[in-house]
Amino acid sequence: MEQLPRGRHGLSREFIADNQKQRILAATAEILDERGYDGATVAAISGRAGVSKSDFYAHFASKDSCFVGAYDEAVERLRGQMLGACQPRSEWGDGVCAGLEATLAALAAQPEQANLLLVEGLRAGPELYGRFQRAVESFVPYLRDGAPAGKSAGRPPEAADEAVVGGIASLLGRRVLAGEADRLKRFFPELAEFALTPYLGIAEARRIISSR
Amino acid sequence: MPPRGKAGTQERQTPKRPVPSVRPSLPREFIALHKQRRIMDALAELTAEQGYEATKISDIVKRAGVARKTLYDNFEGKEEVFLAAFDAARDDVMRRVEEAGAGADGDWQARIEDGLAAFLGYVAENPSLARMSMIESLSATAETTRRYEDALEAFVALTRGALPSDERLPETIAETVVGGVAWIVYQQIRRGDAEHAADLLPELTEFMMAPYLASA
Repeated sequence: MEQLPRGRHGLSREFIADNQKQRILAATAEILDERGYDGATVAAISGRAGVSKSDFYAHFASKDSCFVGAYDEAVERLRGQMLGACQPRSEWGDGVCAGLEATLAALAAQPEQANLLLVEGLRAGPELYGRFQRAVESFVPYLRDGAPAGKSAGRPPEAADEAVVGGIASLLGRRVLAGEADRLKRFFPELAEFALTPYLGIAEARRIISSR
Repeated sequence: MPPRGKAGTQERQTPKRPVPSVRPSLPREFIALHKQRRIMDALAELTAEQGYEATKISDIVKRAGVARKTLYDNFEGKEEVFLAAFDAARDDVMRRVEEAGAGADGDWQARIEDGLAAFLGYVAENPSLARMSMIESLSATAETTRRYEDALEAFVALTRGALPSDERLPETIAETVVGGVAWIVYQQIRRGDAEHAADLLPELTEFMMAPYLASA
């Protein structure tokens, strides 16, 4: 993220402060990806963000509260990207595919964000782990809402939507941990099939996916 | 607290006392293993009640009814107790799942269902160990997180072996399915309802089989 030009400029104090905060959050994701939780010090993050330590502490009380801020922002950014793709779709199955595709593309485009969301979320202590759990849970309604009420063999199992989202999060986390974040898009067909099958059956799921 | 688990599972971690090379004189070695088991159970219970961070050595020895020295004779510290308890629980549940699946012969659907029933049964009968292993391990230490990931990997391999091979199904099917099951069980434990984990059997079985049932 670009630093502001030095010297006098007509920018408001709020704008400067917000710009600093955004740089710190972006730097946090990068440093976590490069060095892990223990190696991500306030000094390293401030340095990368181009701010002083005192500027850092003007925005965040501690390293951990900065991580939480970075995490929350990463979740909301991903949510926005996903909803932007799936909400305009009128068919439920098509919407699920569009949302999943956008999610994979967003994670692949910014591997340090993928690392923050899916790997550090499981390793950087209880606070971040709680955020991870809540974030995954918050994506379940997007799958559940508008899902077909019944299929030829009867209702899908109650827990199917949670299991699908949880299973996908688990798989993506393992792949990111294995250093494959930039290649996540190749999992689209199988994850879309995994998501749609409990509701539509495998034949219909495959038909929808292959007709895209 | 009656001892749980088989004596053989205690050999996982290395007690500071030398392991006898001849058949142990039962009373002393039995008592030592029994105390190790009580320490591990105490940690599981306390971790489930108040979390790993808040659990102190003094809490553990009090709950286990052993001297502080006894804990340190057998374990280096809190983390080692946790890891030993985790390893023992993982061995127990894997053995139970494998044995349940082995009885099903060629019927893969029965194997999946029996294995899942064995897993859920273990969770229902050992709620503190289940919470320790599936929830607390992910936020206790870096090493406990690694143990969880390794255990998940082991279950993926087991599941992959039990599911029928189908070229039309993706490589990742075992991973996504196990990840999904783990998530659901995690939620059940977190709600404080581990004792009723067996209630999840029908829907989780259906979830695991869905990709394979053409008429679903």
